[in-house]
Amino acid sequence: MPAAAPELEPGAPTDIELMNAIQREDPEALSQLYDRYNGIIKALILRVIHNEAEADDLLQEIFMEIWNQAKNFSAQKGKPLGWMVTLARRRAIDGLRKKQAYARAEERLQTETEQQPDAWVHNATEEEITFGDTRVLVRRVINTLPPAQQQAINLAFFRGMSQREIAAKTNTPLGTVKTRLELGLKKIYDGLKELRDEL
Amino acid sequence: MSFEEFQNRARLYVIGALEPEETEEFEKARKDYAQKAEDFIAQCYDLHEAFALSLKPEKTSDVLKQRLMSMVRQRQAQ
Repeated sequence: MPAAAPELEPGAPTDIELMNAIQREDPEALSQLYDRYNGIIKALILRVIHNEAEADDLLQEIFMEIWNQAKNFSAQKGKPLGWMVTLARRRAIDGLRKKQAYARAEERLQTETEQQPDAWVHNATEEEITFGDTRVLVRRVINTLPPAQQQAINLAFFRGMSQREIAAKTNTPLGTVKTRLELGLKKIYDGLKELRDEL
Repeated sequence: MSFEEFQNRARLYVIGALEPEETEEFEKARKDYAQKAEDFIAQCYDLHEAFALSLKPEKTSDVLKQRLMSMVRQRQAQ
């Protein structure tokens, strides 16, 4: 069920080809992979740690780790972007847990949650859809979820919270959190499958 | 555990949201369903990609890339 990947210029190497070249220690391949995905990876890091300077440092560390760990990537187990995102998310959440500013980030998240409980919600215009913006299409799938499901997934994925932590934070019964996560993730999974079939 | 229930748990597993008491049962079902389970879990990791793609890309400075590539070349030279 691959999610829709960003469109490539004709003749541009695929992500797999770039990863293969990185495994052969070709710096140009890392440079191209960086150009392709630095914005997405930085957005992911920022979504977790909410600090521009730390996000830049972490971004650099993550691409260094991609370079160092490339040999562990296997195309049989998944796609390069998924592998990079998994790696980046883990590093960002680890960083968040370690840093002393955790409490401040929590406060900021609380404020954001209160101001915009469904932060993923984005009204896609038809123009954006026509241009085939992958981000808008993926968001459209996510936006079909009720805000409570979006919030639970947001806290689990971008904050690394357990079901119990989410239950405590949102003052919601544990069973309800579990149901929200299960239903929400299933809807996104199914929606992405449909999206892939349409493209 | 039915395969449908396993699928629900697998989606929680890949985002790290499975509670400790659910993990043991999940791992047992994973063994029971064998390759079918592994194939499904691999597909679930695409959720990570989707969540990242749902975000608006952020700008980064050219200096950052220069620093990264300089570090890579230094590493190669070692």
